[in-house]
Amino acid sequence: MRKLSTDSIPLPLAKQLLEGSLSDVSVMRATAAPADFPILPWANVVKIGGQSVIDRGRAAVYPLIDEVVTNLGRHKMIIGTGAGTRARHIYSLAIELGLPTGVLTVLGTAVAWQNAQMMHYLLARHGIPFIEPLDFSILPHYLAVSGAVVCQGMPPYKLWEENPNVGRIPPQRTDTGCFLIAEVFGARKMIYVKDEDGLYTADPKKDSKAELIPRISLAELLSLDLNDLIVERAVLDLMTNTQHVTEIQFVNGLKPGQLTAALEGEPVGTVIYREDEESIHE
Amino acid sequence: MSDSAAHDNHVPSRLMRESLVDKDVIAGTESSVVRILPHINVIQIGGRIMDRGREALLPLLDEIVENQIHHTQLIAVGAGIRSRHILAVGLDLGLPTGVLATLSAKDAAQNAYMVSCLLARHGFVYLEAPFVVQLLPAMLAAARGAVFNGVPPYDLWEHPPQIGRIPPHRTDSGPYMLAEVFGARRMIFLKDVDGLHTSDPALNGGYAQLIPETSVSELRARKLATLPLDPVVLDLIQKAKLVKEIQIVNGLRPGNLSRALAGEKVGSVIRAG
Repeated sequence: MRKLSTDSIPLPLAKQLLEGSLSDVSVMRATAAPADFPILPWANVVKIGGQSVIDRGRAAVYPLIDEVVTNLGRHKMIIGTGAGTRARHIYSLAIELGLPTGVLTVLGTAVAWQNAQMMHYLLARHGIPFIEPLDFSILPHYLAVSGAVVCQGMPPYKLWEENPNVGRIPPQRTDTGCFLIAEVFGARKMIYVKDEDGLYTADPKKDSKAELIPRISLAELLSLDLNDLIVERAVLDLMTNTQHVTEIQFVNGLKPGQLTAALEGEPVGTVIYREDEESIHE
Repeated sequence: MSDSAAHDNHVPSRLMRESLVDKDVIAGTESSVVRILPHINVIQIGGRIMDRGREALLPLLDEIVENQIHHTQLIAVGAGIRSRHILAVGLDLGLPTGVLATLSAKDAAQNAYMVSCLLARHGFVYLEAPFVVQLLPAMLAAARGAVFNGVPPYDLWEHPPQIGRIPPHRTDSGPYMLAEVFGARRMIFLKDVDGLHTSDPALNGGYAQLIPETSVSELRARKLATLPLDPVVLDLIQKAKLVKEIQIVNGLRPGNLSRALAGEKVGSVIRAG
């Protein structure tokens, strides 16, 4: 058997990783020790909703684009896009045709891609590029030169998307993809731009008694076990395990100034935060 | 109602205007799934077999070629020891899980590429993820086989794990997910052990007993300290629509792959439930 000698690697973890099993909890625990290096700690990830914002067309999109441009000198932004109504159409068609979840992910990715292309052309005159998942190694350059990039929000899982617990809709869509970008780069903020002021006790589009929740801990939100949510459940599950992103914010993209306020660190809209971090800061 | 409540730019569909996060909407999408490639067998060659080199690998590849007449085989390859090394260096440098996933995928890609070179004369090619999405049926029709990277293409989007920082979706999850999405006939893992054991045979030798058949919940109840495959595969099997059974066999023993392909209960079988 060809072995790599552990003597040549003066790293505390190397011996355990080369000789142990990666399914061994003690090996896994040992890998928690070195602290994560935040790669782009000044970057902000901004997700623009598909059905909530982009599908509305000019009336909603133009003012938001203007707001992004206004913030260019001040905040570096990775702008991800949602999919929206065409994804809903192709999901229902594909489900009826008996196609599996992984195929739905391939299809939904194309819709988010279309939306990202449109946002990119509206921002092109400001030098802002569109980048594919494979181009992310050039991201730091683009952020340095142009201050922002546009990407499609879906994670690049393609056929490798996992099945949901119930039904067939891909559980990890554009909210999740943008969240994981923020996490891997150790981003400053994860801001979701939707068409509501934030998280409500029920869907405000359907229930007039729904109340806005300005700030809620992850544990509290999960314990409410709401039938509907403002964000994919996968984001909340992943947020229990993150190293960097322990707070996500939801703002209304139809109200001018909300995105800017969130970028400035103001408590606008709804903030979902992880409690353990909260207690450390207090 | 807020002023933001509604707009009419919708494409008519059953999911139009619905929240895809709503539990009732999600439950409404439950229905039967077609098997896209029901005849294929997904086979993973463990990284530890690759690391043993010629002596272990070549007989196994001969066996794959022998089975080419009767079975379509989609071969994934593990990452092995180089991946452990780059994980150690990357972790030491403080790099996050998504970056580690991207790095370690290259080790599995190298292994898969070597396997494809050794099988090239029999028509097997190595397919990167985008080509698996688009070209796989053509490649399988031409050669009844192809080789792909066992690491799923999660890259920077890999999940931060519950404990520590090692990417949880490694070279067992990738092939299993492909088997499930295509509705494959079998999912066979070729490892350097006989299957699942009551304790790690690498540590406990003679005391470790083979578990020939188990459900996921029975297996979890055993609380084994180590498993011969990525623990996340167990979660995935529980959510399977099509491939509710996987088999782990010893790839160092000639004939095991053929027996598993023929449907014999060699090694260990893990079932959903």
